[in-house]
Amino acid sequence: MEYTIGSIAPIFLSPVIAFVINAFFGRKLPRSGDWLACLSVFISFIFSARIFSDFVFGQYATDFYIHKTFTWFDLSYGTTIWNVDMGIYLDNMAAVMLLMVSGVAFLIHVFSTWYMEHDAKHGKFFTFLPLFTSAMLGLVLSDNLFSLFIFWEIMGFCSYSLIGIYVEKEKAGDASIKAFMTTRVGDVFLLLGIVALWMTLGSVNYVDIYAAIAEGKFAGQTVLGVSLATFAGLCIFLGGMGKSAQFPLHVWLPDAMMGPTPGSALIHAATMVAAGVYLSLRMYPLMVLGDLTWFIAVIGAITAFMAATIALVQTDIKAVLAFSTISQLGYMMIGVGVGSYNAAFMHLITHAVFKACLFLSAGSVIHAVHEQEMPKMGGLRKYLPYTFVAMLFCTLAISGIPFFSGFVSKDRILGDALYYGFMAGQNPLLAIVPILGFAGAGLTAFYMFRMIFMTFFGENRAHKHVDHGHGHAAAHDDHGHGDIHHEHLDFRSNVPLLILTLFTLGFWYAGTMTGQSWGKVFGAKTEWFKVLVEAPKVEKFIGLPREPFTGVDSRVKTEFPKAHYEHQTGYAGPNPDEHKLHTAHVIGMWASIFIAFSGVFLAFAMYVKHWIKPWAETFSGITTLLKNRYYFDNFYVDIIIKKGLLGLNRGLAYIDMGIYDRYIVDGWAAVNRVLYKSSKWFDNVIIDAIGVDGTGVAVNLFNLVLRIVQSGKIQFYFIVLITVLASYIWTLNV
Amino acid sequence: MISLASYLGISMVLFVTGLTVMIARKNIVAILLGIELILNAAALNFVAYSRFVTNNLDGHIFSLFIIVVAAAEAAVGLAIVIRFFQIKETIHVDEATQLRN
Repeated sequence: MEYTIGSIAPIFLSPVIAFVINAFFGRKLPRSGDWLACLSVFISFIFSARIFSDFVFGQYATDFYIHKTFTWFDLSYGTTIWNVDMGIYLDNMAAVMLLMVSGVAFLIHVFSTWYMEHDAKHGKFFTFLPLFTSAMLGLVLSDNLFSLFIFWEIMGFCSYSLIGIYVEKEKAGDASIKAFMTTRVGDVFLLLGIVALWMTLGSVNYVDIYAAIAEGKFAGQTVLGVSLATFAGLCIFLGGMGKSAQFPLHVWLPDAMMGPTPGSALIHAATMVAAGVYLSLRMYPLMVLGDLTWFIAVIGAITAFMAATIALVQTDIKAVLAFSTISQLGYMMIGVGVGSYNAAFMHLITHAVFKACLFLSAGSVIHAVHEQEMPKMGGLRKYLPYTFVAMLFCTLAISGIPFFSGFVSKDRILGDALYYGFMAGQNPLLAIVPILGFAGAGLTAFYMFRMIFMTFFGENRAHKHVDHGHGHAAAHDDHGHGDIHHEHLDFRSNVPLLILTLFTLGFWYAGTMTGQSWGKVFGAKTEWFKVLVEAPKVEKFIGLPREPFTGVDSRVKTEFPKAHYEHQTGYAGPNPDEHKLHTAHVIGMWASIFIAFSGVFLAFAMYVKHWIKPWAETFSGITTLLKNRYYFDNFYVDIIIKKGLLGLNRGLAYIDMGIYDRYIVDGWAAVNRVLYKSSKWFDNVIIDAIGVDGTGVAVNLFNLVLRIVQSGKIQFYFIVLITVLASYIWTLNV
Repeated sequence: MISLASYLGISMVLFVTGLTVMIARKNIVAILLGIELILNAAALNFVAYSRFVTNNLDGHIFSLFIIVVAAAEAAVGLAIVIRFFQIKETIHVDEATQLRN
């Protein structure tokens, strides 16, 4: 199929149009224009699905891509040609990503029309939701880091607006500022990395960067004493750390649940946090060149484990999900770091689906019981059967139970991590990566099932009147009084959850029931994911021509490659021993199955059967540490901000007020005062007294003389005339 | 033969008479008459010089122009005097003070 501007631009533009219309005319539209937002994202979804089906089922090669550019502005001078290009870059990864983002976003939009129906902020919410989606879609379509950065920042702004949508609540405002400022720390580094690449390569286009890597243009280039690849790669990864909530910069994400739950679903699943991982994957060759993969893997492992431990003791249902998001993002970063490019991206997709579903289910629960604290829930499976099914499936997926999507992706990441940590001949200290990864996987199973058991099993601890189905209209009217009523299958509230639930099954992504090489349900082509998505082979990008943005695409399409799971190799690894890798995967699979089931069993024993006391009581010291989230927030606020930044602030304030204000501003004022006085004197004495009044006096003097002459008697004039003429003639003669 | 000096003498007498009339009399019509005398003195001078010095017709033509201009000027001047008289009921020149202040 041909790709023209008309078949690609609507993906990004239709939500933008919905945003503009809703922003300016939303109040005049029926239902504040939420149907318009849904429609616009659905249009994006249709166009994305077309591209996806074309890339995946149209039998294209792994390295097939479309790159179209147009000149954004022209900085040429003299004979130097320097065009700043914008454009789109579509490869298999982008095609999958587009489908995921638009599809999940559409379901979130539909769910939001139900969830936000009676909310005062309905219109505002449906203004920012399509903008957020369009920014993410634009980010995926971008062909260079600069336009990626633009969309990156639009998303930062949208998340700020969505988190702080209830501005009248002080905590929401604080959370939005915190999210914005924390990601800003990463964004500064990202911009720095982009500038470093721009300075040295003259371009920040993906294709140009890949080609530069292949041509060895990075060799010998240094920035501030470190090699360019390391500097730029580290800066770009720090940007990704901010957006994807990695270890030191993760503090914004748990607070981001102050926003409405569907907004959290969009931020935490489909769009914003995925952007950081997506960027790291896009710049993967740069990370490899800069020897940063071990750093990424370690950061990911720390994040995955740390967030999982914090999630153990959270009682707020959304906080559990928020920390599980951080933890899963850590797994994606492990995947990037250990060279498991394909599995990291697969985990991004599978996580987006089940995490969106989990957040929407949590929204459904919160909507039903008007409560976010899990100790006040319990026994909800009788009242919310559809939500229960959706949440259970997603929990099975995230816990890494076989046959579900999380197992397929996370297991492959852990298998590669196991190989990376123990068998690839790396630094022995890097064994921490698989150890923390497996530990985190067990904790994930535990805390997710803890959430399920506390929410849906046991007795209803809400002590609220339960309406058993009769008198439904009355129950609806009494909504605010905390009655729980049975949920019915509803197109807007349950169906999006159930659609997402369908895609928590593993075979959609792996083509096999287990994700391993046995148990295939369909043919080889159903393994599209791990065949089609692979790290960019940079040497193929040398000297490729650009296509104009408006032209019709003309690249040669090739047959679907017959690749095998066993041939999945690390990008950076020095020709990894395939047998060892396979062994690692098999060990990893059984280990993660065992760990996941033991986590589930532990949760079952603790929260359903009460065989073991919940460890909140057993280890109170650790619980306090975890409940305070390792004191990261305190550390940032009390030490970095209050001690460090406030001191810096005072120093800067002293420079500003003590030095700059007192001496320069006030000094300038004093100089001005002297100038004012002298100019006042000049004005009053020279101009006014001498100039203006002097003119008057002079005119008066003339007046005295002229008054005599100007008598008005014509005959006097004659006499004067004659006298003057006579005296003139007399003078001539003499 | 009448000499140039005689013509100039007549012209001088005419000029001085006109000037004296212009300065001394308060009657506007008299002042206009004085002006006519001065113009005629000038015309006489032109003709005299033309006859005795350059010996061509330039002076004659010039004096013809002077006569024409004097006639026009007298017509305009008398019209102003008549209007003035209609307003002020006098032709005393010191009463013509409308433009003062």
